[in-house]
Amino acid sequence: MKIDRKSKVSEEIPTATMADVAFLLIIYFMVTSTFAATRGLDFAIPEQQDNPPMIEKEESVLIEIQPGGQLVVDQQPMQLGEILDYLRPRLERNPLKPVIIRPDPNSQYGYMVDVFDELRQGANEGVEVRNISIPTQREIEAFWY
Amino acid sequence: MELHVRKRQDAVIPTATMADIALLLIIFFLVTFQIEVDKTQVELPASGIRLEVPEKSAYVSVTEDGAIRVSSGEEVSVIVSGPQEVLSFAAELMARAPDRAVVLKADEATPYRLVDEVMDALKQARVKTIYLLSEAEMQGSGGGA
Repeated sequence: MKIDRKSKVSEEIPTATMADVAFLLIIYFMVTSTFAATRGLDFAIPEQQDNPPMIEKEESVLIEIQPGGQLVVDQQPMQLGEILDYLRPRLERNPLKPVIIRPDPNSQYGYMVDVFDELRQGANEGVEVRNISIPTQREIEAFWY
Repeated sequence: MELHVRKRQDAVIPTATMADIALLLIIFFLVTFQIEVDKTQVELPASGIRLEVPEKSAYVSVTEDGAIRVSSGEEVSVIVSGPQEVLSFAAELMARAPDRAVVLKADEATPYRLVDEVMDALKQARVKTIYLLSEAEMQGSGGGA
């Protein structure tokens, strides 16, 4: 009678290729996920009111942005860095003084962001501009007088 | 004279823990992974104030040459013909999810006229918060315009 010889089978689980598989997955995720830009300036829009409070033009500060990016604040040409100093005494008198940014339709979006950012950063320098508004062309045509 | 008996050492690199490390990395990527709904390539404006955009925000992207794409935040963005379509998109979105923030991802060189029309559409649709997507300001280059 012939007895079968037991062949010896290794008792180990082969884990050497696990790392290869896992690293392939990592590479896949790294390639498919681009670094998404997920930060920005928040701009809260006031709720629509039936009777919006009228603001006297003289009460507010008007920042106009010309097509080339030059700034005109209350009819005076001004540099971006000078705006907060201009606003400081006016906001001390009236902390809720509205500041209106009005970019020319032919200017660029980047200029508006620069000005908006500068006003927002005022809070770090003790000039907190609470009331920033960026009216759209339609609103200007409807409400500007 | 006594001869040293050479001990034979196995030349094995332990690779079993490699897989653990790799899997940990995968889990890290999976947790931090955010699906980017809008893959439009734009030169974002720089700003000093940069707040984290809420998850699942809707996106409106505007390129320099005027292509507008919208996404409700749940699926990949689709191109629309103009600001008028942004209004219908936003109105429909606000009816479904009134508190959803809208991220405006516009190129800094976009003509302001176009951004104005898009913002006007969002205002008319009664979007509550708009985020102006931006990138980090380079050190020392603040105060451009």
